[in-house]
Amino acid sequence: MTGTFEAPTLDYAALSPLIALAVGLVAIVLTAVFRPLKRLAPGLAILSMAVAAGCLVWQFGTEADLVSGSLRIDGLSTTFSLLILIAGIVAVLYAAGDIAGRQVGRPDFLAMLLSSVFGMVMLTMANDLIIFFLALEFFSIPLYVLCATDLRRPGSLEAGLKYLIIGSLGSATLLFGMAMIYGGSGGEVGFQAIAEGLTKGGVISDSLVLFGIGMITVGLAFKVSIAPFHQWTPDVYQGAPTPVTAFMSGATKLAAFAVFARFFLVALAPETDQWDVILAVLATLSIAIGNLGALTQSSLKRMLGYSGVAQAGYMLAGIIVATADGVDALTFYLAAYLAMNLAAFGALIVHERMTGSDSIASLRGAGNSHRIVAWPMTIAMLGLAGLPPTAGFLGKVFLIEALADQNWVWLAIVIVIGTMLSLAYYLRVVAVMWTNDPAPQGEDGHIDGDLLVTGGTPPWKDLGLVVPIVIASVAVIFFGIFPDPLYDFASRAGDAILSLTG
Amino acid sequence: MTIEWFVILAALLFAVGLAGLTVRRNPVVMLLCLELMLGAGALALLAFSRMTGDQDGQILVLIVLVVAACEVVVGLGLVVAMFRRRIPLDVDEIKELKG
Repeated sequence: MTGTFEAPTLDYAALSPLIALAVGLVAIVLTAVFRPLKRLAPGLAILSMAVAAGCLVWQFGTEADLVSGSLRIDGLSTTFSLLILIAGIVAVLYAAGDIAGRQVGRPDFLAMLLSSVFGMVMLTMANDLIIFFLALEFFSIPLYVLCATDLRRPGSLEAGLKYLIIGSLGSATLLFGMAMIYGGSGGEVGFQAIAEGLTKGGVISDSLVLFGIGMITVGLAFKVSIAPFHQWTPDVYQGAPTPVTAFMSGATKLAAFAVFARFFLVALAPETDQWDVILAVLATLSIAIGNLGALTQSSLKRMLGYSGVAQAGYMLAGIIVATADGVDALTFYLAAYLAMNLAAFGALIVHERMTGSDSIASLRGAGNSHRIVAWPMTIAMLGLAGLPPTAGFLGKVFLIEALADQNWVWLAIVIVIGTMLSLAYYLRVVAVMWTNDPAPQGEDGHIDGDLLVTGGTPPWKDLGLVVPIVIASVAVIFFGIFPDPLYDFASRAGDAILSLTG
Repeated sequence: MTIEWFVILAALLFAVGLAGLTVRRNPVVMLLCLELMLGAGALALLAFSRMTGDQDGQILVLIVLVVAACEVVVGLGLVVAMFRRRIPLDVDEIKELKG
């Protein structure tokens, strides 16, 4: 044999977060094989995510292209990845006492969760079309399974199947759009190379590129649940086990918006004039449909699903302005949204384990009887509604500021109107909880004991549940009063975009 | 033959898949339609890859094939689980969740 073998150069230090997650994933799958080790699985999942988070913090200063430019580690990917890992760790803690995980086998459940987190972290680093598609599917496919894990309830399987079909429709649309962009940019897959290819004017006409932009927008809109591609959201949020809903509501938005920002602001930067209006229309639709849909819901999980649609509309504003300030505001808002959702769903899990119901009416009187449900839920609802002094309020202020700077005043007005509409349903939850009457058992027809977990530790003594809820609620208030630490953290994402686009 | 023919064929395949997905109510057939849509994307990628002489498009096609297989595995698994629980295999009749 002649010729010398040359190993590819890999920056293992920068790849360490992904390596830590992959090792944890393999270890968890192995514990499923060696049955005596099964009890170690949750610890292993948390350990590997914590190690990955540690590696991310270690690599905070790094800005580099990895694996021949397929992945990029910079302020955007590290900031978003860290938030995703926080969501993942909390989801493991929330799921520890949940029955859904026990039905499919604890290690299997955790392996799915961890591979979803792995895909999301990879997606925040995606720097070419191949990793973009691969990572998107890497996190979506395990999520379809996770949604279906509560085998007792037909609703859970239904949610899984609906999510699978609509999610795959989104992926297929996205792939077709990628093919058009690939052709239109003259055969480029790297994000920066696409931008150069588009400026040069590809071999094929502009209509191909426009078509591609449209289809990629639709594909991503499916993933972040932007109207009119949101129909799956309320069903899946309601049908999935609540710890899974808690995880996916924040983390999928984080991962998808990270690649949304990177792809639209870097690869499609030359076409900004083409897509900003499309996105602004989608944002408006999303805010209108999400808020109107949430008004009439009786299930809290469903209501939070519609609220997620409206919130995605607000977040889209951060992309539309196409500035570093917009990305900062988007990141700040996403971080606040994550904390508010973790608090709200955490409180809902405690409530569900006690009463077996997720209806808004069943929360009546929680303010007197169950403070651990009522306080975090109140804080989360006020935050989601965007009232001071919560981080949700400041998040909206930053978004509106970024919009006003770029002459998008009409969209800022849409956000304000949407916020006013949303007060109606967020404050309804708060009002129900602090009403003094006792809960009318079974009266509203929604208390069916489906979600009831009997025996075991009472949920308010489950530290894995209570501690994250308290931390999330405190964070919502804390960052509402002292936003600087979080804003500095978020602005790393904007700086990364700025350094990429020059 | 020019590249247009390949792109038009891909677009037609995509449209057939999309139409099937909206018209058919059986989850298994819907999964087939999804495969068709992914196949359409793959065909367009291959055509452009050949046109530009760039290999990355073909790598993406390989990845698409694997991902499509994974999606079907999960989809069929869910269909079997629903079948065992006597849940009707018709997306119009599955309406535990609505509103």
